[in-house]
Parts: sequence; C-alpha cells; structure tokens
Amino acid sequence: MIKKITSILFLTTLTLNLSISQDKIPFMNIKTIEGRTINTKSLSNKDGLTVYSFWATWCVPCINELDDINKEIEKWKEENVKIIAISTDDSRTKRRVRPMINGKDWDFEIFVDENQDFKRALNITGIPHTIVAKGSKIIYRRIGYKPGEENILYEFILSQNKNSNEKI
Amino acid sequence: MKKSNNFFIFIFIFFSSVSIHSQFFENLNSSFESYSAYYMDDKKTGDFNQEDRFRSNNYLNLKSNFSKNWYFELQVESYLPKSLLNYSPNFKNTNVSTLKIDYIKNDLNLTIGNFYEQFGSGMILRTWEDKSLGINNSLLGLNANYQLNDQINITTLIGQQKKGFKYSKGYVLGFDSEFDLSKATKNNSTFLLGLSYVGRDDQEVNNRNLKSMTSLFSARVDYSSDSFYTNFEAVQKTNNPILVFGIPSETFIKKGSGFLINTGFFKERLGFDFTFRRLENMSFYSEIQSAGNEYNESILNYLPALTKQHDYSLTNLYVYAAQPDVNFYVEDLMKSGEIGFQTDFYYLIKKDSFLGGKYGTSISLNASLWNNLAGEYDFSNQSYETNLLEFGEKYFSEFSFEVRKKWSDNFENIFLYVNQYYNKRLIELESGIVKSNILVLDNTIKIQNNRSLRIELQHLSTKNDYRNWYAYGLEYNINSDFSVYFNDLYNYDNPNDEKKINYYNFGGSYSKGMNRFTINYGRQRGGLVCTGGICRYVPASTGLTFSVTTSFL
Repeated sequence: MIKKITSILFLTTLTLNLSISQDKIPFMNIKTIEGRTINTKSLSNKDGLTVYSFWATWCVPCINELDDINKEIEKWKEENVKIIAISTDDSRTKRRVRPMINGKDWDFEIFVDENQDFKRALNITGIPHTIVAKGSKIIYRRIGYKPGEENILYEFILSQNKNSNEKI
Repeated sequence: MKKSNNFFIFIFIFFSSVSIHSQFFENLNSSFESYSAYYMDDKKTGDFNQEDRFRSNNYLNLKSNFSKNWYFELQVESYLPKSLLNYSPNFKNTNVSTLKIDYIKNDLNLTIGNFYEQFGSGMILRTWEDKSLGINNSLLGLNANYQLNDQINITTLIGQQKKGFKYSKGYVLGFDSEFDLSKATKNNSTFLLGLSYVGRDDQEVNNRNLKSMTSLFSARVDYSSDSFYTNFEAVQKTNNPILVFGIPSETFIKKGSGFLINTGFFKERLGFDFTFRRLENMSFYSEIQSAGNEYNESILNYLPALTKQHDYSLTNLYVYAAQPDVNFYVEDLMKSGEIGFQTDFYYLIKKDSFLGGKYGTSISLNASLWNNLAGEYDFSNQSYETNLLEFGEKYFSEFSFEVRKKWSDNFENIFLYVNQYYNKRLIELESGIVKSNILVLDNTIKIQNNRSLRIELQHLSTKNDYRNWYAYGLEYNINSDFSVYFNDLYNYDNPNDEKKINYYNFGGSYSKGMNRFTINYGRQRGGLVCTGGICRYVPASTGLTFSVTTSFL
C-alpha cells in the first residue's frame, strides 16, 4: 500500500515539476461544419484575440455559456475578438450541430472536432473549456462555466486590449 | 510492483536523456487527472462486498513538440490499489497507456505508437478515449495521413488494438480516402466522396467455416449548400459468427450491413434535421472472443444510439442503447439489428416579439423511433432473413419538447417535457414495457458578484416498472471559483416500500484556471451527472468520491 501511495505521489510530483513554459495552439487538422478538413493554424484572429470555446450539443453548461455570450455579442465584437466554438460532438450528436446553431442564431465560427483530436492535443479534461489566445500563444484558460463567468472573460479581454493599446 | 519500478527507472532515464534537448521541456505541456473513491456499506442498497474500499484512477499525460516537425506523447495510468467500480479489471497497477511520436510536415502526418482514428461516421472504424466510460481502444502501430492539394485526403494504418494494458492478438488494417469534389459543383456548395476499408485478422479463429479475416467496406457522400445538407453512408461486412449464449457459433455465420441517411436544412433562427439508420449484425471487435463484453473492450467501430442525449437524471433512467447485434435468446425473443429514425427541430423566437421577449426564446423538438428488423426468423435452425425496409417490434421511442427562456438579466429557465416508450423485454431481456412522461424545470438566478443559484425540479410518471420518481437539485455558486450542491432522486411510488430509496448526493467543487477539485458524498444510481459546469458518467455506488484535474502550460 505504501509503495502504491508513493508511486501516486511520484506521478504528482513529476507533474508539478514539469509545470514550465508557454503553450501554443497546436497546428492540426479539424473539420469545418461542412466536413472539409482545415488546419487549426488558419483559425487565429490576425488583429486581435481569439476565444476558443469547447462545447457539445448535449452539454447544458456549454450552451449556457455560448448563449450568454451571444446575447451580448455586439459588445464582444467591438473589442475585435474572434469567437470560435469547437464542437466536440461525436457522430452520435454531431448532426444536431448545424440545426442547433441556426436555431439559436449563434454568431460564432463553428468547427467540428469529432474524434476529439484537438481537445486531446490541448490536454482538455472536460467541457466547457475556454481558451483565449493572442496569435497562437495561449494567454488564458478556464475549465467549466458558471453563470456570470462570461463577464470575467469579457473583463480579461478588455484588460488585454487596454494593455496592448497602452504599448502602442 | 517490480514492473512499475522498472518503468519509473525507464521514465527517469528517458527524461534525463531528453533534457539535453532543452526544447523538449520548453514545449512540454502536461495534464494530471485523479479520480478516487472510498466505498461504504449502505443499509438501503447493501454492503460493499468487494476487495479494496479505497480505489483510485490516475492519468498523467505529457506532450511535447520537441523538434520542429516532431511531436511526442506519453500517458501513464495508475489504478491503485484497484480501478474504480465499473472499469474493466484489465486496468490494473501502473503502466504506459499511450506512447507515440508524430512527424508532421506540410500535408503529411506520420504516427508511430498509439493512435486514435475515425473513418466516416465511425460505423466502420473508430478508436477513441473516454476516461469517464473507461474506453481507450487506441491502435498500436503505424498511421500515415496525406492531404493532396486540399482535395484528396488519404489515410492508411496497421496496428493491434489496446485492451486494458494489453493488446489484441489480431491485426487491424485500414484505408480511407476522401475526395473533395466541391470545385465541380456550382456556387458555394461542398461535395465530398469517401471510400474506406477495414480488415481484422484474428488468428484465434479456429473454424472451418470462417476465414480469419473479416472485412468491412464503406462508401459515403456528403453534400451541403448554404441552407441544406445531406449525407449517405453504406457499410458491408463480410461473414462473422453470431454469439450463441456468449460464444461465437461455428455454424451460425452471417454478413452484416449498415446504412445511414441524414438530411437537414436551416436558415436564420431555424434548423431541421432528420436521420435514418439501419444496422444488421454490425458490431465489430478486434477479437471475435470479446464480442458483446460489458466493458466495450476490443470494439472497433462506433454505433451510438441516435436519440437525444439528455442531461437530467430522470431523463436518463430509461436510456436506449443501439441494438446492432443478432441475438437469439428464446423463440419469441430474436433480434438481428435495428431500424429507425431521429428528427430534430430548433427555432428561436425573435427578440422584442410577444413570445420572444427581450432576449428571444429558444424552442427545440426531438423525436426518435427504433425497431427490430422484421423478417423470417427460425430459432431451431438458427437462421434468419430480414426485409430491407420493414420495421419489426418497437424497442424505443421518444418525443421531447424544450423551451429555454431568459426572463431578465438575472433569471432564466429551461422547461423540458419528455415522453418515452422503452421495451425492457426486448432491450434488457427483462419483463415489461415502460411508458413514461417526464417534466423538468431548471431555473438559474444570478445574484450579485458572480453568485448564482440553480434550482432543478424533475418528475417522472409511469404506471410500469418501479412507477413514479421525483428529483430535485440545488446548486449554489458562491463565486466564480467555488460551488456547492445538493440533489436527491426518489422513487416515491415504488410498490415495494423497501425499494423507496433516496439517491442523495452533496458536495462541492473548486476550479481556478486549469485546476479543478471536486468532492462528493452520496448514493449513486449511475448515469450522466452534470454539476458545477462539468458532465461525466458516474457508476452506481455509495461513498465518498474526490477528483483532481489539472493541466500545466
């Protein structure tokens, strides 16, 4: 038993020791909503920040988050933010993606990560999961969504934009 | 334990040697997930009478882009002292679960090691990982993918399939090609054509009537325009033995097939989707002997139930699972697959209209119907002939209606009505049919300073099986990091007083950035549980569970 606990501790310490360095959006293939294969390097917003939101049609908190952002999408757009919603629906539910986004009138770019390769490459352990990137550099990540958290994300984006304006 | 010690030495040497290559660490990212439980005796549901009350599943994943075009991934898993309930006993001790190196340059992607792959909708091949379901059926071998001029995408692979920490004896071969013919179409539409092959060679097959190789062929087309899409996929499977009392038969051998048609249209604020599917003798395993195992091990293709995936506990009491297999149990209980459809409709009532209010109102409808294949079944001679488009006895049907409405800046709710028909006799080989009506009301109230309260009320009414249930849940988000909850599920109308059990749970979660900690105490029925913003499947049990998930940049 002691040995077993030691090995768990070993793994934990190893992980903690490895907490180094920056992270980037990995370049790999995902699909457009029409089924075409494209590379993730073409996703990022050239002039501003990019928000990647990992969701699925069956995930109620994910839909709550995207609905809440969409309700005030105009103010996000003013901040020159590109919002990309990555559906992790597999073939059980992916057919629901297109009707749902139109039925909800979401104003996001939607891509499909059907076998969760992009999600796995980013070490995402559960959805909803939100990432903010500047170019391909990740500057913010958050797991889960609780009502009101979209405001925290919005304020983070405001502060980032303010910082970069000050630099100019 | 000795084996794992050797393993740690290997890891140590590996990291020491690559650390010379400092780029390895500079571009490293890792994640760690740990799910533990302490199982307790329960006066109502019975004692815990298995070994090891404390159990824990641990996953450490490391990835690195260690050189310009080279990527490395290692996942080590520890099930100590044993894996959580409902996980395969093949997950034991500590071992390497994934080890791979990718070479990615321009349009070429080569992988050596463990990889995940999917062809088409997965009807012919899908390998994937889902920790909450205990599935990790990657292939260990070689995978090459090449994309030519953005128009032709070719994948070839060969490997052995992972089963716990072991590998299948047989080989799996695969080939997939996808052609983008959109340029040949007018305007802005997309037209894709795909052809695939998957072969499984199981040398353990010792049967004069059967070759060791089983092959699957598939063809698919995908068309979509600005407001319309349609796709079609057909699969043929060569001879495969039918399981008789859990053992592959030497004489009852049949081909298999699968057809899927999906179509839909959409415009602003409106979407419609329809899917038809027919499966006959379609499940596919890397080892014939593993067919039908309860842990979904050695499974090579993905045949999900095409029904609405629900998020609430009472809507998940009678869940349909796809019925792709041939099973001859008794003379009046013979099945050979499934046929049916599912349809979805979404509509957003405009903002600032009478029904739409200030924020708009979302409405969605879903209906599904799944039946056995009709045909001539001969129990004594073990044979059958099905009719292509005829529906047999009903397995399952469902109709649901959902309205999402935000009333003010601080209050919104979801109303859901579900009507279900569940043929317990035909699906679970138990007695009876369950017809039920379910109502759900999910309310969210935002309070100042990122606080919010969620109140969930559910009721299931049925005259069948265990009769009526109610459920309620309270979730209080103290701030954006902390959340606590209590929920209860009660079979108040059960004719047997002893079976009137409260399935209560309470706990909390803390999440900050990439870290998340949860703790829960209670009695689990099992099923999909979503709390504090994360959904996962939980096994049936009573006890204390806790989890840690974290990733490092």
